[in-house]
Amino acid sequence: MAGNAITDTPDGSTAGRQLELSWLSPIGMIGLSIANFIYRLFTLGIYDFWARTEVRKRLWSAIRLDGEPLVYTGTGKELFLGFIIVFGLVLLPMLLLSAGIILAFGPTSPVAQLFPLALYVFIFLLFGVAIYRAQRYRLLRTSWRGIRGSLDGNSWNYGWTYFWTFLLIPLTLGWIIPWRTTKLQTLITNDAMFGDREFSFKGDAGPLYGPFAMLWFGVFAIYVGASLVFAVAIAALQHTFGLDTLSPGGQLKPEIASIVTIGTLGIVAMAYLLYLLISAWYRARTINHFAKCTHFEGAQFKAKVTGAGLLWIDVTNILILLVGALLLIIPLSIAAVLIVAVANSIDATLLESLLGPDVKSRFAAISVPIAIFIMALSFTLLLPVTQARAMGYFIGHLSIEGPIALERIAQSTADQVSTGEGLAQAFDIDAF
Amino acid sequence: MSDGKTAGAQDVMVELTERGISIRLPGSHDPVIWPYGALSTSEPLTQHAIDALVTYANQPGATLFVPGPRFARSLATPAPQLTASAERWRSARPWLWATIALIAVAIAISLTDLSPARTMAMMLPDEARQSMGRHMVTAMSQGHRLCETADGRAALDKLTAKLSKAAKTESDFRVVVVDRMLVNAFATPGENIVLTRGLLEKANGVDEIAGVLAHEMGHGIERHPETGFIRAVGLTAAAELFTGGGGTLGSLGVLLLQFSYSREAESEADDHALRILRDAEISAKGLAEFFIRISNKGQLQESDPGNLLSTHPVTQDRLAKALRQGGYKLQPALSAKDWRALKSICGASDKVQVPKSE
Repeated sequence: MAGNAITDTPDGSTAGRQLELSWLSPIGMIGLSIANFIYRLFTLGIYDFWARTEVRKRLWSAIRLDGEPLVYTGTGKELFLGFIIVFGLVLLPMLLLSAGIILAFGPTSPVAQLFPLALYVFIFLLFGVAIYRAQRYRLLRTSWRGIRGSLDGNSWNYGWTYFWTFLLIPLTLGWIIPWRTTKLQTLITNDAMFGDREFSFKGDAGPLYGPFAMLWFGVFAIYVGASLVFAVAIAALQHTFGLDTLSPGGQLKPEIASIVTIGTLGIVAMAYLLYLLISAWYRARTINHFAKCTHFEGAQFKAKVTGAGLLWIDVTNILILLVGALLLIIPLSIAAVLIVAVANSIDATLLESLLGPDVKSRFAAISVPIAIFIMALSFTLLLPVTQARAMGYFIGHLSIEGPIALERIAQSTADQVSTGEGLAQAFDIDAF
Repeated sequence: MSDGKTAGAQDVMVELTERGISIRLPGSHDPVIWPYGALSTSEPLTQHAIDALVTYANQPGATLFVPGPRFARSLATPAPQLTASAERWRSARPWLWATIALIAVAIAISLTDLSPARTMAMMLPDEARQSMGRHMVTAMSQGHRLCETADGRAALDKLTAKLSKAAKTESDFRVVVVDRMLVNAFATPGENIVLTRGLLEKANGVDEIAGVLAHEMGHGIERHPETGFIRAVGLTAAAELFTGGGGTLGSLGVLLLQFSYSREAESEADDHALRILRDAEISAKGLAEFFIRISNKGQLQESDPGNLLSTHPVTQDRLAKALRQGGYKLQPALSAKDWRALKSICGASDKVQVPKSE
C-alpha cells in the first residue's frame, strides 16, 4: 500500500492568503434522488428529514475552499426531533385549539371562522424566526477543516423585523423591498461567524434602488404595454369584422371569442416572460450587491451572477422537475389503465369469489390515496438535482477577494444546538 | 491536515499501514497513527471517489484531507465500514426495524380490536358530547329551519320515548326534524338525532321512521359520531406530522363534518336497531323496506355531509337480517293520527312538492 503525499505549497505565514472558492459537481445526484424518493414513499414522507440530510451532505462537499470540501455534520435525527418539538409545541396545540373552538362555539360561529385568520398571523410572525433558526442550524452544522460556523444573535429580533417590514410592503407600494431585504441580510450577516471570527455587512440599500426602480417601472410598463396591445388588437378585430363580431345576444361570436382567448393568453404569457426576465435581473443585482457588502477578516465576497443565468437555471429546473414527475406519472397511469381493463374483463362473481366481496371498491379505497400521494410526491423526484444546479451556479459565480489569515481563526465557542430547523421544516421554507 | 484548533493546515505524509493511517508531520520523526476502526469520512467511499476527508474519533476536530483518487479508493480495503454499501446498510437498518415494529403494532391493533379513537370517545364527558352535538346539528341544518308543531312534536316525542325505553340506555335521545327535502337521517354526538322532512314525507309508514330512528340510536349508543370526530382530529394531526405541516389546519372544520361510518359500525347500529324494534314490538319490515327503497332509488346524495347511509350501500346481508326478524307480537309504532301529525311537522306536505334549495 503506497503512501500519498500532499503536494500543496507549505504556508506558514500569518499574513493571510487568497482562498479559492469552487464548485465540484457532485456525482450520483440522480441515484440519490431516486433512493430518497423510494424511502420517502415507503415511510409516508417521514424519511424526508434524512433525505434532506443526505442531499445536503453531497451539496456541502461539492463546495470547495482551496480544494477542501465543506462538511455538513447535521443528521436526519436532529431535523426530525426539531420538527417533533415544533409539532408538539406549536402545531399540535394549534390543532387542538382549533378543535376545541369548533366544539365550544360551533363550526359556523364567528369565533371559529376568525380563529384561522389569527392563526395565520401568528404563523407569519414565526416565519422570520423560522428562517433565522434554520440558518443558524445550518451554519452550526457546517465545518471546514474542523472549524464550525455559527449565528450568534436573537431570532425573535429577526422575526419581528421580518414581520413588520412585510406589513409595510403594500403600504409603500413595494418601495420598502430593497431596504427590507438589505436590513434582513445585514442582521443575518452581522450575526454570522466562522470559528471565532465574525462576518460583517458593510453597505446599504442605496445601490439597489436604481435596479428596483427599473423593476417597478418595468412591471408598470409591461402592464400598460400589454393593455395597449390588447386594446389595439380588439380595435383591429372590430375594424376587420365590423359589427359582425357580436352575435344577436350582444355576446362575442364563438369563433371570434376563441381568437380573443388565444390572443389574451399570448399577451399574458409574453408579459409574464418579460416580468420573469426583469425580476431575475433585479435578483442578480441584489445577490451581487449583497456579496460585495459581505466581509470576512481581510476579504470581501464577489458575485458575478446574471439575470439571464438565474432565469436559465430556474426555467430548466422547472423543466427537470416536470420531466421527473412525468417519468413517474406516465408508467403509473398506464399500469392503472391496464389493471382496470383486466379487472373489467374478468367476471365480477369470479373476482369476488377469489378475492372476497366488494373487491373493486376496496381496491379503489386503497389505491386512490396511494396514487394521489405518489403524484404529489412525484414533483420532488428530481429536486436534489435541481438544488445542486442552483447551488452550483451560485458558488460557481462567487469568489473571495483578499487575504484571510487562516491560522488566526480558532474554533467556534457557540453552543451546539441539539435539534434543528423545526419551524422552518414545519412551514416548508428552507431551500436546501 | 488540520488539527481542528484553527483553520490553518499543514502538509503531511500519509501512508496506509497495518495498524492504521500513518501520518508524518513535517519535522517530526514519529508518525501519528489513526487506527482504521475509529475513522470516519465526510462521505462514504466509492469507486468514483476523487479525494477523501478523514476524521478520527479520538482527535475530535482534526481533519485529514487527501486529494486524488488513489488514497480514497485504497482506504476502502482496510476500512470496509467506510464504503458506500456499508453506509447504506447502516442507515437502512433502523428503518427496517421501524417498519417491522409498525407492522407488528398494526397487526396487534387489528387482532385485539383496539380503537384508540373509540376509547377516547367513551371517556368524553357528557357536556362536551352534547355541546358537540348541538353545534353539529346547527351546522348541518344551516340555512334550513327546524320543523316544530305541537302535535308533531308530541308524536315524535312519543315515538322517541318508546324506542328509548326499548333501547334500555341511560341517555335521553333528542330528535329534531330539519326542513330539507333530501331523504336523510344522521346521529350527532351527545345522543342527538336529525331527521329530514324528505325522509318523513317519502316514508311508506311510521314503521320505516321507527326503523331509521332505531338505527341512528344504535350509532348513538355505540358513540360512533364521537368516535368519528376524534378520529378526524387524529387523522388531521397525523397528516400534519407526515406532510411536515402542510397547512391542513384550516380544513379541519370541513373534515370534521365529513366523516362516514365503517361497514362494522353500520352493522352494529343495525343490530341495535333490530333489538330495539323487537323490544318495542315494532315490525322490522319498515327498516327492511327503507333499505330496499334507498338502494333502488339511490335517493341519498353522496356529497351530503354526515350522510350515514350513502357511503355504505345496503348489502344483501343487512337486508336479510332485517327481513328475518320477526316472530314477536307487533304493535303499530304510532297511532294513525299521531303518524299524520308527525308527517306534517314541517307543514302540510302536499303544498310544498318541489324542493327549492336542494
